[in-house]
Amino acid sequence: MAIIAGGTVTVAQYVACMEKKDNYAHINSRISGASAKAGHMMRDQQFGTPAITEYADAVIVGGGVAGLSAARSLHHSGFTNFRLLELEPHTGGNASYGSNQYSAYPLGAHYLPIPNIENQPLLDLLAEAGILTHYNADGLPVYNETDLCYDPEERLYIRNRWQEGLIPQLGISQQTQDEIKKFLELMETLRRAKGSDNRYAFDIPADNSSTDASYRELDQLTMEAWLQQQGYHSEELRWYLDYCCRDDYGAGISTISAWAAIHYFASRKGKAGNADSSQLLTWPQGNGRLAQHLQQFSRDKTQTGCVVYKITPEPTQVLIDYYDINTHQIKRLVAKACIMATPQFVTQRLIPGGSYHHDFVYSPWLVANITLERVPESSGYQLSWDNVIYQGKSLGYVNAQQQRLTQQMPAKQVITYYLPLDHLDPVASRKYAIGLSPRHWVKLIADDLETVHPGITELIGDIDITIWGHGMIRPHAGFITGEVRAAAQKSPFANVFYAHSDLSGISIFEEAFYHGNKAANALAAYCS
Amino acid sequence: MEILLLLSVFVIATCGLIYELVAGTLASYLLGDSVTQFSTIIGAYLFSMGIGAYFSRFFKKDLLSWFIQLEILVGLIGGISSAALFLLFEHAASFRLVLYLLVGLTGTLVGLELPLLMNILKDRYEFKDLVSRVFTFDYIGALAASIVFPLLLVPYLGLIRTSCFFGILNVAVAMVVLVKFKREIKWAPYLKSKAVACIIVLLGLFIWADKIMTFAESQAFRDPVIYSHSSAYQRIVLTHSRLDLRLYLNGNLQFSSADEYRYHEALIHPAMLYSPKHSQVLILGGGDGMAARELLKYPEVEQVTLVDLDPAMTRLFRQNSMLASLNDSSLLSPRVRVINADAFQWLKENDRQYDVVIVDFPDPGNYAVGKLYTTAFYRKLRHALTDSSVVVIQSTSPYVAPKAFWCVNTTLQECNYQTIPYHTYVPSFGEWGYVMASPGPLAKHHDSLPAGLRYFAAGTFSQMCDFTADMQQRKVLANHLNNQILVQYFEDEWGKYQE
Repeated sequence: MAIIAGGTVTVAQYVACMEKKDNYAHINSRISGASAKAGHMMRDQQFGTPAITEYADAVIVGGGVAGLSAARSLHHSGFTNFRLLELEPHTGGNASYGSNQYSAYPLGAHYLPIPNIENQPLLDLLAEAGILTHYNADGLPVYNETDLCYDPEERLYIRNRWQEGLIPQLGISQQTQDEIKKFLELMETLRRAKGSDNRYAFDIPADNSSTDASYRELDQLTMEAWLQQQGYHSEELRWYLDYCCRDDYGAGISTISAWAAIHYFASRKGKAGNADSSQLLTWPQGNGRLAQHLQQFSRDKTQTGCVVYKITPEPTQVLIDYYDINTHQIKRLVAKACIMATPQFVTQRLIPGGSYHHDFVYSPWLVANITLERVPESSGYQLSWDNVIYQGKSLGYVNAQQQRLTQQMPAKQVITYYLPLDHLDPVASRKYAIGLSPRHWVKLIADDLETVHPGITELIGDIDITIWGHGMIRPHAGFITGEVRAAAQKSPFANVFYAHSDLSGISIFEEAFYHGNKAANALAAYCS
Repeated sequence: MEILLLLSVFVIATCGLIYELVAGTLASYLLGDSVTQFSTIIGAYLFSMGIGAYFSRFFKKDLLSWFIQLEILVGLIGGISSAALFLLFEHAASFRLVLYLLVGLTGTLVGLELPLLMNILKDRYEFKDLVSRVFTFDYIGALAASIVFPLLLVPYLGLIRTSCFFGILNVAVAMVVLVKFKREIKWAPYLKSKAVACIIVLLGLFIWADKIMTFAESQAFRDPVIYSHSSAYQRIVLTHSRLDLRLYLNGNLQFSSADEYRYHEALIHPAMLYSPKHSQVLILGGGDGMAARELLKYPEVEQVTLVDLDPAMTRLFRQNSMLASLNDSSLLSPRVRVINADAFQWLKENDRQYDVVIVDFPDPGNYAVGKLYTTAFYRKLRHALTDSSVVVIQSTSPYVAPKAFWCVNTTLQECNYQTIPYHTYVPSFGEWGYVMASPGPLAKHHDSLPAGLRYFAAGTFSQMCDFTADMQQRKVLANHLNNQILVQYFEDEWGKYQE
C-alpha cells in the first residue's frame, strides 16, 4: 500500500553488520527498503518529454494490494489491454514477503481476520484463491483448515511470565477485571449496533459504516480522551488498547481517534462454519499469500522499476509519463483512463494542480525477520503465533513457522518482529530510522527481545530488516470524518480514479481491496 | 618402597574385580537373565586371567617398565569398557561377541599383572612372605571392590563413571611406580606422557559420561537404563529389569516387553477382522516393529508400509538382536517397507491406497503431535483409503483421559468416518483405548484369526467395545488445527492424574 515512493526505495541496500568485539558481532543484518532514492527521484528530478509513446486501454499506477485488486477486477470485467506500473522491483506493497531456506516470512502485513459475511467480494476472492472451500448448510463460509491460524494463537509476557491470550489476566486487580469486562461487553454491543441509517455503526469496508452522528462524533476525540470520559482508568486495559492501536495504525491511543480504535474491535463480526470472529487466516509468507493470488491477473501486464513522474489528464485520454529504471528510458503511456493506486502524498504530486494535504499522516514501521537457532523457552505459556510483550516498545513477534504441519522442528526458527516507529512524530521518526545503521537496529531489537528471552542474542544468526517509511495511514482524531479525507475520495478528473487504503483512513487488506475494486468498476463504467 | 608395591597390589586387585563386575552387570542389563550373564562373564574373565598368567613367563627383562605399560593399558581398556559397550550395543551385529572379546582382553591383561608384580618383588622378599603378602592384599582388594560396587558405585557414579574411575586408578598406579622407581625404568619420559594422555582421556570420559548416558536419567526411571540416545526427534530410552524391557520416548512409556502383546494384539487384530481386504497395510508411527510383527502373522498381507519419523528408532529395532527378537525381526522382513518420513508430509505426497491403516502415534501431549490427531490429518488420511478401508488409531486412556479419548472419536466422526471405539487392559499402561474407523460402514468380514495369539480372540472384541460408566462417552469438541482442543483435554486429564 503505502510503500511506493517517499520514504522507501527500490534498490535494497545490503549492509553486513561486521563490528567486532561486541555481543552482536555474530549477527548478520541487512536493511531493505530504506533510503529514498527512487522515491525522491520522482519528487526531485526533472525529466524531459518522453520520446517513446505506448498505448493501453487503462493504466494502473502502483502495485500494492489496491493496484493488484484493481487489476484483478479489470481482468474480470474483460479488460485485456491494461498495464500496471510499479516503482519497486516487485508488486505486493505491504503484503510483500521474503524467504530463506527455513521459512517464508512476511515483510509487512501477516494476517486477515475472518471476513464479515456481508463482504461478498472478499469472500469471492478467498474462494477464488482456494482459501474458502465451500459454504456449509447454514450458508456460512468454510475455510481451508490449514489456512486458519493454528493453536496456540496468542500469548502475552506480563509480570515475568507468558500468559495465554493478549488481554492482561495475570495478577490484575478486581477493578481492572471489571473494566475489561465492561469494555469488551460494550464492544460486543457495538459490533451489532446499527445507526439510524440502518447500517452497522462500524463496518468493513469503513465506507459502509453508519453516518449516524452519534457514532461519527467519536472520531472527534482521541481514544485516550474517550477512555477518560467513559471512566476507564485501568493501566492494563489502557495498555491493551494502546497496543491494539499501535498494531493496526502504527500509533497509540493518544493519537488515534476513538472511532478508529473502536472500529478495530466492533467492525470485526466475521462468521464462518469452522471458525469464529476472533480467529484469522494466516500463512508463513503472511498476506503475501493473497498478493501471490492477485498477481496472476496482471503478471504479463506489470512493469516494475517504473518511476511515474507526471500524469496529464486530457479530455479523452490520460498521459502517464514514467522513467524506466531498468532501461533508463523515459516513456509515455497513453490510456483512455487511469487508476492511481498510490497513497495521497504521491498522487497529489503527480496530478496537475495537486497539493498534498498534511492531514494525511503515515506511520513509519520497522519489520524485522529474525532467523535464530530457536526461541528460548521461558516460563509460562508456550510459543504461540503472536507473542506480545506487555508495555514493550515493540509489538513483539509472530512465529513465521506457526503453520507448519510436520513434526520435524526446522533447523532454524524464523520470527517476524514488529516495531511501530511512533516514539517521535512521523517525519522525525522517518529521519531517525533512515539514519540508523543496521548495527544499531540489531542492538535495539536484540535488547528488546532479551527482556523476555534472556540469552536470545547469541542464538540469533540473521536479521532481515524492512523499514516502511510510510507504512500505513494514521487515523488520528478527526481524520476519518474530516473534510480533507472526504475531498480526496474522488479525483478532479473524469478519467482518473483513486484507489488506496489511505482513502479509508484504515490500512488493512480489506480496505485496499475495496478501493481497488471500486476504482476498477468506476473505470470500467467510464470506458463503456 | 616395598609397601608401595604391595599397596598397588591392593589397587590392582580392586580394579580387576571392578571390571569383572561392570561387565557382568552390563551384560545382565543389556541381555537380561543375570544368573547366566554373571556366571559366564566370571568364567570367561577368570579363564582369561589364566591366559594372562601363562604369558607372564615371556617377560624377562625390564619388568618394571613392562608393568607400567601394562597398568596403563589395563587402565585404558578397563576404563573405557563400559562406555564402549553402551555405545556398541546399538550398532554391533553381535553384541555378545563384542562383550566377550572385551572381557577376554581385560581378563588377560589383569591376569598378567600379579605374576609380573611377583616377579618384580621376588628378589626383595622371602618367597613365603611374598606369596602371603601379595595374596593378602589381593583378597582385601577383592572384598573392597565387591562391597563398594553395589552400595556406592552403581547408585552414585553409574557404570560408565565407575569403570572410568578405576581406569584412572590403574593408570595412577603406573604413575606412582614411574615416579618412585625413576632410576630403574627405561623409557620413562615416553611412559609418563602415555600415562598422562590416558588419564586425560579417562577424565574426559568421566566428565562427559552424561553425553553417553544421562546419569540423572537413569535415576528418573524405575529400572536400570541400558540404552539412551537423543535422536533428531526424541529421546529414546530402554530400561531393563528382571521382569521386562521397557521403551520410553521422551520419558513416556511406549511398551513393556511383559505385556506389549496385549496392546499390539488389540491394536491390530480387530481392524483385521473388520477389513474385507488385507493385502496392503500402512503403519504410521510404530517404529518398534511390534505392530508389523502382528500383521506379518497374516499370510495374505502382501506388503506393510511403515512410516516412522525417526530413523534412529527403526534402526535400533532392526539391528539390535535383542530388540529384533521382540518384534520377530519384522523390520527385516521383505514384506515390510520402512520409510523414515514425517507422516503428514508423507501422506501429502502419497498416492496409493491401503486396505488397513494402523495409526500408532505418541499420545497428543504437545501441539506438534496434536496436529496428527486433527480433522486436517484425518481428511488427508482419507486419500490413502478406499471406501472399505479400515483405520485404527491408538487414542490414549479412556479411563484417565475420557475427554481426550472421545475427542479422537468425535474428530473422526466429523470427518465422516464410521467409528467403533474400544478399549483393553494393558497392565503397564492401565486401561487403554483405540478407535477403529472407516469411510464406509464397519462390519465384520472375517472370523478366523492367525495362530499364536496370546490375548485377542474373536469373542473378546464385544467386551472391548463395552464402556463402563466411568469411561462413558463424553460430549466433546472435535480437534482442529485452530483449536487443538485435544491437547488441552489431554493435559488437563493426565495432569490431574499425575498430581
